[in-house]
Amino acid sequence: MDIADGLLHGFYVALQPTNIFWCFVGCLLGTVVGILPGLGPAATISLLLPLTFSMDPAGGVIMMAGIYYGAKYGGSTTSILLNIPGESSSVVTCLDGYQMARKGRAGAALGIAAIASFVAGTVGIVLLTLVAPPVAAFALRFSSPEYFALMVLGLALVVLLSGPSLIKGLLALLVGLWLTSIGTDIFTAQARFIFGQAPLLGGIEFMVVAIGVFALAEVMANIDGGEESQMLPVPRGLRNLLPTWEDLKACRFAFLNGSVVGFLIGVLPGAGGTIASFISYGLEKAVSRHPEKFGTGVPEGVAAPEGANNADTGGALVPLLTLGIPGGSSTAILLAALIIWGIRPGPLMMQESPDVFWGLVASMYIGNVMLLVLNLPLVPLFAQLLRLPTYILHPFIFGISIVGVYGVTGRLFDTALLAGFGLLGYIMTKLKYPTAPLILGFVLGDSMERALRQSLMMSQGDLTMLVQRPISAVMLALAALVLILPLLSYFNRARVRALAGG
Amino acid sequence: MQKYNLRNSDVVSGAILAALGAYIVTQARFWNYYNPDGPGPGFFPTWYGLLMIGLALALIISTAMKPKPQEQRKDWVGTRRALITWLTFTACVAVMGVLGFRLSFALFTFLLVAFVFQRTLVTAALTAVGATAAFYIVFPVLLGVQLPTGWFGF
Amino acid sequence: MKRRSLLAGAAALAVSAAFAPALAQFTPTQPIELVVHGGPGSGNDVMARQMVTIMEQEKLLPVRVQVANKTGGGSTTAAAYMASKKGDPNTIAIYTVVWVVDPLTQEAAQNRLTDLTPITRLVTEPALAVVKADSPYKTMGDFLKVAKDKPGTLKQSGGSITSRDNIVRQLLMKQTGGNWAFISFPGGGERIAALLGGHVDLMIMDPSEAGEQVKAGKLRVIAQIGDSRLDAFKDVATLTEQGFKIPDVPQTRGIVGPPGMPADAVAYYEGVLDKLRQTAGWKKFLAESQLQNVNEKSVQTRTFLTAYEEQLRGILKEAGAKVVR
Repeated sequence: MDIADGLLHGFYVALQPTNIFWCFVGCLLGTVVGILPGLGPAATISLLLPLTFSMDPAGGVIMMAGIYYGAKYGGSTTSILLNIPGESSSVVTCLDGYQMARKGRAGAALGIAAIASFVAGTVGIVLLTLVAPPVAAFALRFSSPEYFALMVLGLALVVLLSGPSLIKGLLALLVGLWLTSIGTDIFTAQARFIFGQAPLLGGIEFMVVAIGVFALAEVMANIDGGEESQMLPVPRGLRNLLPTWEDLKACRFAFLNGSVVGFLIGVLPGAGGTIASFISYGLEKAVSRHPEKFGTGVPEGVAAPEGANNADTGGALVPLLTLGIPGGSSTAILLAALIIWGIRPGPLMMQESPDVFWGLVASMYIGNVMLLVLNLPLVPLFAQLLRLPTYILHPFIFGISIVGVYGVTGRLFDTALLAGFGLLGYIMTKLKYPTAPLILGFVLGDSMERALRQSLMMSQGDLTMLVQRPISAVMLALAALVLILPLLSYFNRARVRALAGG
Repeated sequence: MQKYNLRNSDVVSGAILAALGAYIVTQARFWNYYNPDGPGPGFFPTWYGLLMIGLALALIISTAMKPKPQEQRKDWVGTRRALITWLTFTACVAVMGVLGFRLSFALFTFLLVAFVFQRTLVTAALTAVGATAAFYIVFPVLLGVQLPTGWFGF
Repeated sequence: MKRRSLLAGAAALAVSAAFAPALAQFTPTQPIELVVHGGPGSGNDVMARQMVTIMEQEKLLPVRVQVANKTGGGSTTAAAYMASKKGDPNTIAIYTVVWVVDPLTQEAAQNRLTDLTPITRLVTEPALAVVKADSPYKTMGDFLKVAKDKPGTLKQSGGSITSRDNIVRQLLMKQTGGNWAFISFPGGGERIAALLGGHVDLMIMDPSEAGEQVKAGKLRVIAQIGDSRLDAFKDVATLTEQGFKIPDVPQTRGIVGPPGMPADAVAYYEGVLDKLRQTAGWKKFLAESQLQNVNEKSVQTRTFLTAYEEQLRGILKEAGAKVVR
């Protein structure tokens, strides 16, 4: 069956009334799960799994997938409104999204996020439809040295995320690297930096750090800054709540960037949406004509990471469906579900279960449209949330933070850690240390250490393999470029100033 | 007049980070730096620890060499309010294992609204009850998300 | 809610223990909590939810069963939680080999599986030694010969150093004098990707993971790790048949209760799980996930686990892991 026939057959399956219904249920549940921290797509799919065994596999997998990509749509909502990342892949959206909301443009930011999610999500599925097998083959050429180079490239972005003081940005990054190495070392079973606390053996949960350092620190900074009856301004009138034509025009490149970066990184097992959103954000800033405005609320800063995070879905399904390899926890549970239904994802799935394969792909086109239609009308509604007076909103944020952490891990220990990270974030804000590099270091540090150690084990201690392999060499060169360019422009400016002064 | 600018938040935080770096490096000394197979658990921490010490010292030196900025009057009122909020929150988390989510969160909201935001006690009580009820209805009841329970069974 | 029921359960237990110790015939009246150490979506979580679904469909229990994910530190959080439920008949957990390994290698993991009340062993997970389809190695012997002739050049992808993958490697290296590297990847997907991409030479894999890839001609099985051949891979010889006799270290899962669980409660769960084993749904689940059924009661399970712990202690020491208990 070639692609056109397959897709046609897929739409025939996906457009069955029952399947449309399951697709809608999945998207709706996904949106809810995404909006509320503490409920992840993996957990939701797992909870609903037993209920779907009596369903037809195509309908079941269409609904499960709807939860998976719907959650990514919803994840940006609390990031933008309250600086609380709803899912780990929405952390980057906080940087500019929340700043837009502070300027009274919450509705615009939410709208941009929904549109970017739609565009990039659809591009991701188009790519999944057209180029899945060759891209999967490309992903297999990635080995530890390439992953290491990718992580270095990601960490090099610290230069762009640091703000005025690069030294402080780097220090925050190093603290992130330290925090991520807390726990059991997988290579040797050595416990590191656990202070005798058994709950730390598994490491610190990402959401605990992200919510503490972003959301709690922000609330404390607001309280510190003095009391206003309303936290953020919300303009009246529906038109002021939606993105303007200029916003969309500013995001043209971001849509493309998010789509491509998100898809390509999504294809790599073990990389995932969070890394994709960071890299896409960094790329957007690096090529921007006004990089200094990033972090103050530019629409591109929302569109790029949100796009990447949604294009990641299409990417992550490539190795799952064509190779039977899950890249992360959500795709792992999708794999488990498929196996229990008696479907084996892998090289033969397209021939053995064309209904499920093409039905799923086609349903995702439909699901993306549904999500856009579902999400856009909610934008003005959610923006109204900010009309609540601070004395109601602030306890609310604390409560959501507790639920967001406890819901994920089920341990009071983590809520105590959350309080600690809230204080850390607040102190960093007070002392003008940027917090984004800490999160970046935390996300990438662990993978980077692992990839480096794997590489050195594979090459028996030979570091030159990192530059001998073409893909990793290119990425390391890019990383060097990202690091060196700002320095060059700094020296250039200094020279111009010296000449002018002399 | 002081020659070096040492009483400065950057110098203090730099010193703390240098100490953290030193702690990381000394801890890493206990673990294998290199195993027969490849780098050990001490490999990576040693490097970022050393880097941390270096950068922290650079921060201290560069700040200390700069001329002292004009003395700014700090507003400690806001900081105190923020820290009181944090202490209340931490206390709320600490007693959550005993009192459960509902009771400790209601208490926290009440204290926050009444004393940090300085509303009337009635407003505070209403907010506390309302917010707690909203959380209880949305999460455990509608969505089946478990919240911490205390010794009294809720 | 949960706590109240547990308190009531404990109170009821205390009363029954005080007044009628010998006659007590345990029947649960409170919802049962089934503790899993993995997060939602992990292998054990899926198995737990599968169990719950079948038990509810077949009405094996008069009360509901709730799955509780107690993640963190491998099995440590879950084991500590079980230890804190001393004597409670309404809490059970799914254990895996990790529950034995963690206390052996981690100072902070203080609750050994044998300190709790093992109820039964449910399944063992067979494993296969797999190479890429275009690899020159047709049998385990081919691989081991190169490993001996050119030590250190071959690579195996796997999980943590304390996982079965590495234990089998250590045992084989010791027996044959060969040597190859073990490269840890946290995610199952990354391990297979490394093998499919030709970045490593060998992987020890679940049959359910390997099946589809073998059928598609991407991977080749060169040996079976267990004692007997699996139905799905009848023409592949086991390690023993190929002349490499290493101690069997089965990957096993079962059910455990808190320390001091009353004998009548243990007997009750043994009975329920026996009925579970007979159901069509459970048999189908085992077949789909390629797990092998084990029938063992509490006493045998304890004996097995004690011996197993002793065996692992020796193997882990040789593998270079620090053994603390």
